[in-house]
Amino acid sequence: MKRSPSEKIWLVIKYVLLIAFTITCLYPLLWLLLTSFKTNQELYINTWGLPQNFSFKNYVDAVVTGGILRYFGNSVLISVTVVIVTAILATMASYAITRMEWKLSKLVYALFIAGMTVPIYGLIIPMFSIFKRMGVLNTHIAVIIPQIALGFPMSIFIICGFMQSIPRELEEATVIDGCSVFQCFWKIIVPISRSSVVTVMVVQFINVWNDLLLPRIFLTDQSKMTLPVGLTNFKAQYSTNYVGMIAAVILTIIPSIVVYIVLHRQIMEGMVAGAVKG
Amino acid sequence: MKKTFGNKKTIAIFVLPALIIYSVFALIPIVYNVYLSFFETNLMEVNKFNGLKNYIDLFHDGTFRKALLNNIIMVIGSLIAHMPLAMFFGNAIHRKIKGASFFQTVFFLPSVICGVAVGLTWTFIYNGNYGLLNGLLKAIGLGKYTQVWLSNAKIAIIMIIIVVMWQYVGYHMIIQLAAMRNIDAELFEAAEIDGATEWQQFKSITFPLLKPILKIDAVLIITGSLKYYDLVAVMTNGGPNHATEVMSTYMYYQAFNILRYGYSATIGVVLMLLCILSVGISNVVFRTEKEGR
Repeated sequence: MKRSPSEKIWLVIKYVLLIAFTITCLYPLLWLLLTSFKTNQELYINTWGLPQNFSFKNYVDAVVTGGILRYFGNSVLISVTVVIVTAILATMASYAITRMEWKLSKLVYALFIAGMTVPIYGLIIPMFSIFKRMGVLNTHIAVIIPQIALGFPMSIFIICGFMQSIPRELEEATVIDGCSVFQCFWKIIVPISRSSVVTVMVVQFINVWNDLLLPRIFLTDQSKMTLPVGLTNFKAQYSTNYVGMIAAVILTIIPSIVVYIVLHRQIMEGMVAGAVKG
Repeated sequence: MKKTFGNKKTIAIFVLPALIIYSVFALIPIVYNVYLSFFETNLMEVNKFNGLKNYIDLFHDGTFRKALLNNIIMVIGSLIAHMPLAMFFGNAIHRKIKGASFFQTVFFLPSVICGVAVGLTWTFIYNGNYGLLNGLLKAIGLGKYTQVWLSNAKIAIIMIIIVVMWQYVGYHMIIQLAAMRNIDAELFEAAEIDGATEWQQFKSITFPLLKPILKIDAVLIITGSLKYYDLVAVMTNGGPNHATEVMSTYMYYQAFNILRYGYSATIGVVLMLLCILSVGISNVVFRTEKEGR
């Protein structure tokens, strides 16, 4: 099909804007990466250009004086625990809600889904109070538990949505063959639902990895902090060592970017599906 | 069959772990939070019933009003900025363009990056001495407009909205794009055969069929703008002099800086009601429209 001149101009405009926004998205990240190899003086004199020589000194600083590795370890510990526990419990609950026959299943589902509209601010003060009484403030448990609880609505919504589409005959056949419900769950349902569970896991990982609020409220020891809180401390303590902080920022965002590059389709689908409910 | 899938014990084993954690650490705290909002408390033993005093104080609290106003500015700013831009890019990518999947992957990327990292990155961009923004202004001959962007109380909140835009336009684009891809391709083919221009196709096919998702997207933008925390906390922490305070940062400040937990719980209740209200209103609007059709 031939294009008219005005359509051609329009096409050019579209490409120009798309490319402009691509640069807007990527340039700050590229700038961070390049700057992370510069010295502080270079940052002032040569803000825009390439670093004179690629030195890893800032990364060493971030790890040695900034203690980034410890924050990194805490972040990994918290997010991996949350992701695994949420995935297992949400898959089990979704199975009971969608595949088993009981009167309250609709109500329980509605209760879980209702949580999607409630902002976290509606429950942080009581949670703080509960954890204070339980004596778990300033332990990783105090961050892990609420992250699991708050992850259920989105996770159960996505996994239930998937499980509803699995034909009943599959399970019935296995039960007739003498399998228990547990075997049926483990051997039939879990493998089939794998893609939705992976989606839930990556979205949950991104959420927990990036979260600032909960660790900031429930943790007080430097040694227990996660990366986002560590970065804010970095800002306060080493306010003159900009390039060291930039190296720390790079170390913080690398895991999310790697996960995104590998699983971007699932992440996009999951984040959109979780948000656009009903 | 019924027996196997209706066994109460089995059901309990599957559903109770999640349900108990969820009830104890999400549902009950919501109710407890409403209760706390009527008290002056240090969360341990001193509990003084205050009635509606917290709510009345909140109403007269100049800083809270400023925070609420900032949230409203963010809601409006984000609605005006995100939706049309997301729609433009979504439509451009939807209509056969080379590199569609590349563009969509890149545009979505900022929304998976940690808000703290994004906030720090943009404090470098806005920095008065070597920041990219001032550098750019000097480079194009507008040097007289250079300034320390986040210290200017008048525009700091706008500068933050721009960062929110950078981070989330791609996210909203993906939401709209998903809806655009659900539109029957034959409609566009038929329109093209009839000689409709791309603008005409957008106006009479894409946009009308996109309306339901736009409403959902609007709700997401509104609730998202009411809840922002990370960026503000990192970039200005509510300053200068509360100029960029939003409800979430003010709630944090009240509870964990000056230990007024009851008052902070009150802010939490208001924030929650606003979120539920915006979802509720949109649902009502939805339903009446569906019935009207």
